Amino acid sequence: MLTNYVLPVFIGIILVVALIKRVDAYSSFIKGTKEGLSLFHEVFPAMMAMMLSINLLRVSGLLEAIASLFSGLLANVDASLWAMMLFRPFSGTASLAIMIDIFKTLGVDSFSGIMASIIQGSTDTTLYVITLYFGSVGVKKIRNSMFIGLISDLAGIAMAIFLTITFFS
Amino acid sequence: MTKFWCTLILGSFAYGLMQGRVDLISNTIVTVGEETLEFVLPMVAVTCFFSGIVEIAKEGGCIAFLERCLSPFLRFLLPDIKDDHETLGYVAANIIINMFGLGSAATPVGLKAIAGMQKHNPEPNRATRSMVTFLVLNTGGVTLFPTSIIALRVAYGSLDATSFIPFAVIATLSASCIGLIVDRLWNHAH
Repeated sequence: MLTNYVLPVFIGIILVVALIKRVDAYSSFIKGTKEGLSLFHEVFPAMMAMMLSINLLRVSGLLEAIASLFSGLLANVDASLWAMMLFRPFSGTASLAIMIDIFKTLGVDSFSGIMASIIQGSTDTTLYVITLYFGSVGVKKIRNSMFIGLISDLAGIAMAIFLTITFFS
Repeated sequence: MTKFWCTLILGSFAYGLMQGRVDLISNTIVTVGEETLEFVLPMVAVTCFFSGIVEIAKEGGCIAFLERCLSPFLRFLLPDIKDDHETLGYVAANIIINMFGLGSAATPVGLKAIAGMQKHNPEPNRATRSMVTFLVLNTGGVTLFPTSIIALRVAYGSLDATSFIPFAVIATLSASCIGLIVDRLWNHAH
């Protein structure tokens, strides 16, 4: 796979530059890694709070119930795709799990399989990104970032639906 | 955040009780600590590794180089911190690494970028304009090579694992553009 070259090439370039500029690469690596360790302390509480609300949302069936309201809205779009779209901004693992399920049951190269791939690639997990980044610096008043993040997710997902219907059906 | 969080939890409680799923709910509450630990530990470990790599890149001047490449765009995007070259460098690196689909490598630079923004923050528990813009950019997640999805498609026997990519790129670009436009109109009105 070509994509497997990305990381070695990246790190290779960085190390070659470091050698040319006579940087103490080993010490820098140790120093950077040590800084990374403090992340656990900063992020764990915020992640736990997020995990609780998202897991409850999933096991209570509330999110699926909301997704089922949408099913049938667009003829070609399977109910599982609606669930995936709803999960996408809140839980990367849940939407990934639904995508894999779609690959297995409806086929990876089917209309639904392609739509699922495009949706998964269209945006990142907004709630996770906000929890991680704001959690790491202790910001609690997040202003309108969540709302704008969700608007942007909506735009990405709407574009994903539109493109799949236009080019793959 | 408080309202959002409490509403999610209370809404789930109410619906779960109506559906008779109280066992599942109770089980989720008991196991959430362990599950968070299992989720956060590998994430922190990978982030530590890439933090080390990023530190080498910074010392070697690679981050400063990326900052110079994207400078006009960054100064337009984040006018409040346009003189903080170090932070802008991390923002630049974060955007570029994300494009290659290396989310786990993009995280440590993103965290350094937001820590840099926090230095200029007069009200440390409230997000600044730059932070909101930067996060909107990250939640949109502009990825040109969605490596993990390609790998999954191959694993499930796709005959054409990569043809979705241009469409995913258009979708992710429109997500980020809409997000940035809304942010610009809403937060930079004055």
